[in-house]
Amino acid sequence: MTAELELRGITKRFPGVLACDGIDLEAYPGEIHCIVGENGAGKTTLMSILYGLHRPDEGDIRIRGEEVRIDSPLRAIGLGLGMVHQAFKLFPSLSVAENVIFRQEPSRWGRIDRKRASAVVSELAASYGLAVDPDARVEDLPVGVLQRVEILKALYRDASILILDEPTAVLTPQERDRLFEVMRRLRDSGRTILFITHKLPEVMAVADRITVLRGGRAVARLDPATTTPEEISRHMTGRDVVVIRADGSRSEGRPILEVQDLHVAGAHGVAAVAGVSFDVRAGEVVGIAAVAGNGQSELVEAIAGLRPIESGVIRLTGTDITRASVSDRRRAGMSYIPEDRHRVGTAATASVAENMLMGYQRDPALRRGRFLSTEAVDTHAKELSDRYDIRLSGVEVAAGTLSGGNLQRVVLAREMGHEAPLILAEQPTRGVDIGAIEFIHTQLLAARDRGAAILLVSAELSEIQALSNRILVMFEGRIVAELDPASVDEAEIGLHMTGVGGG
Amino acid sequence: MADSLRSRLPTLLGHPVTIALVVSFGFGGVVIALTGGDPLTAFSEMLTGGFSGNGLRNTLGRSIPIVGMALAFSIAFRAGILNLGGEGQMLLGALTGTMLAITLPGPGVVVVPVAVLGGAVVGAAWGLLPALGQTRLRVPLLITSLLLNYVARAVTSYLVRYPFGEPGAAFASTAAVPETARIPRFEILGSGRISISFLFMLGIVVAAAIAYRRTVFGYETGMMGLSGPFARFGGVDVDRHALVTMALSGGVGGLVGTHLVVGETYRYIDADMIAQAGFAWTGLMVALLAFNRPIPILVAGIFFAGLQIGGFAMERATDVSWQLAQVIQALVIVAVVSRFSVGRKRLRNLEKEEAVAEAEASHVGEV
Repeated sequence: MTAELELRGITKRFPGVLACDGIDLEAYPGEIHCIVGENGAGKTTLMSILYGLHRPDEGDIRIRGEEVRIDSPLRAIGLGLGMVHQAFKLFPSLSVAENVIFRQEPSRWGRIDRKRASAVVSELAASYGLAVDPDARVEDLPVGVLQRVEILKALYRDASILILDEPTAVLTPQERDRLFEVMRRLRDSGRTILFITHKLPEVMAVADRITVLRGGRAVARLDPATTTPEEISRHMTGRDVVVIRADGSRSEGRPILEVQDLHVAGAHGVAAVAGVSFDVRAGEVVGIAAVAGNGQSELVEAIAGLRPIESGVIRLTGTDITRASVSDRRRAGMSYIPEDRHRVGTAATASVAENMLMGYQRDPALRRGRFLSTEAVDTHAKELSDRYDIRLSGVEVAAGTLSGGNLQRVVLAREMGHEAPLILAEQPTRGVDIGAIEFIHTQLLAARDRGAAILLVSAELSEIQALSNRILVMFEGRIVAELDPASVDEAEIGLHMTGVGGG
Repeated sequence: MADSLRSRLPTLLGHPVTIALVVSFGFGGVVIALTGGDPLTAFSEMLTGGFSGNGLRNTLGRSIPIVGMALAFSIAFRAGILNLGGEGQMLLGALTGTMLAITLPGPGVVVVPVAVLGGAVVGAAWGLLPALGQTRLRVPLLITSLLLNYVARAVTSYLVRYPFGEPGAAFASTAAVPETARIPRFEILGSGRISISFLFMLGIVVAAAIAYRRTVFGYETGMMGLSGPFARFGGVDVDRHALVTMALSGGVGGLVGTHLVVGETYRYIDADMIAQAGFAWTGLMVALLAFNRPIPILVAGIFFAGLQIGGFAMERATDVSWQLAQVIQALVIVAVVSRFSVGRKRLRNLEKEEAVAEAEASHVGEV
């Protein structure tokens, strides 16, 4: 059988980095081909080459046996490639249907036939089990739904080779399973699916063939029938990975964070948080599980002081901080690892030292007289980077030049280095490699063990389950269940997340 | 932090600027040659006219409003606030300072500082207005600060014509500032006398350089400019800082305005001041060119002032119009700013570069 897609010896150099080092890959019609690897392994570069965003320095690409030169995404689309990006590429002010049909609009007398567009899109959505309102404006939609729109976009173009770049991050287990069904249906219709992920259970669930990348090379080709997750992760990291798991024991510490009947307004007058009460005690991790867009981000932002609240009370170590400013909250003992580390957690063009200073700029230890002490600020940053194993050429480099994992360590070092009693951790491991995930989990658990209270929000149920002492499930702005991670499985949490958990 | 500044300095004083200058003068030279002139003569007239003898004094004098307005703009722009109201802050400050200098009784040592302070306060208040609109009512400051220029022009024109105008004057103007209430001048570099505002300006440049790098306020406003969400996340009171930076920015604008009358022309002449308001825009260009950093602003501001003064000298000595100086100014900015964006790109690591390429390409290709 001719390979649908054949890559031979793909090599790509960037200044100082060999991103792809002679990668060979063959994918056949009717197969789900998983490409796994840590961040920096070359997955993204390889896919960018395939999609015409980068030209390889060496190597050939063949599609259906014919050698091709893919020099632009348009050419890639013309060759039947479809890509679902990790970062959404949608027009916020247009409707779902308009986004999906863009550049292939159904028209009538030269005008876009909106009715038909909407019908076609809703039919497409329904047939693949992706619940989306085709007439909703994209900017009003939560992240989880945006992902579905992205998938719809690729499906609408009927691509014969579909590249899915970590598509499951924002889905519930049920939605994920539905996506897998979609993928299997597409495979059975003879399409080729390149599925990029670092979640091994997903690989085991859907892969027909596995290619493992490490350091820019294809280090293993595996058959899921004969391999194990342990073997895959060994190939990915080049070593054995320790799986971290909290002991799950119930903390009896004093309450550090108390939230009472909190209401936060969302867009369009719908409450984003509708009467939430809970507490987080010293020495425990409370995990919040929710599908994206169910109020968890608003809840955390309200606690952090970045979003106004309508009513309710927030207490930190007994002090009412409901109306306190962000800096007062920080002074009272709150640290915050935000979801968006690029825009909120750091300033990309500022140096690492400047980034590490944020929140501590009024600390007398970093002053000399009335002025900031440059030496103290640099030393502070150097100490933190040593403690948190951040690999840097110097603290004066711009934060934007760091890799995702290293950047998150900068955030982590700054937020955890001062041993605040409360840590708000929002998606702390999203998009970082296995090594960094392991490190971040260890650090969070170490902070818990020294008595910190941690509120963890994550889309990764495995992360929530592994770290939490208690799990709170949010649905449509309310806490609908409190679960013990030791006695529930993913499926049950998932049911609660979709609001059908019942009692 | 010092290291990061040092590592950025070469970008500024090193080759990009050199290249920009070579490109700009090269292009200007080609234009002169094409119109039948001699580029070398023209440029040598320009440089000697702008940077030697009496020309140097004129250049330094002209650099006061240019550097001043560049600083005014940069104070806000560093914090991510685009204050386009420099003109209005300058005009109202100027008229206030002038009227105080004219009307206040007492010795110069008292009157001049009070007049200067008054100009700064009114400039600051005019800068605060759009800032309040933005922080309290969420009206975009970019627009209001710009539109308030027209209000300021109209108000100052009216005041100069009627209540404050000198009766019987041929054009709308105030009376002259009495000699005792003028900003004093001193001999500089043997090339003539210059207002002590120049020293004052140097002081502000140094103070800004220290404040930007070494104070909490400087750090926090700088971070606001690099990423507003990051500053808010870190507990920076961004609304309060917006008010303070706008007041400072407007205040410096008011100082510059006061200097232009109480230190230079001694009469607030309506038409003349509206023309001088153009310094606000030259200042904006200088601030962009110097990436808001005070010392580079000083250097670039003096250089631009020299180009302008030299341009006049060149026009007197050759057939080349002084407007060539403006063309060169614009070319320098385009060259440096485009060079900067290329340099930025190189800074990004692999991952970032990919994301950018992807985003760019997807707008063209994908979807």
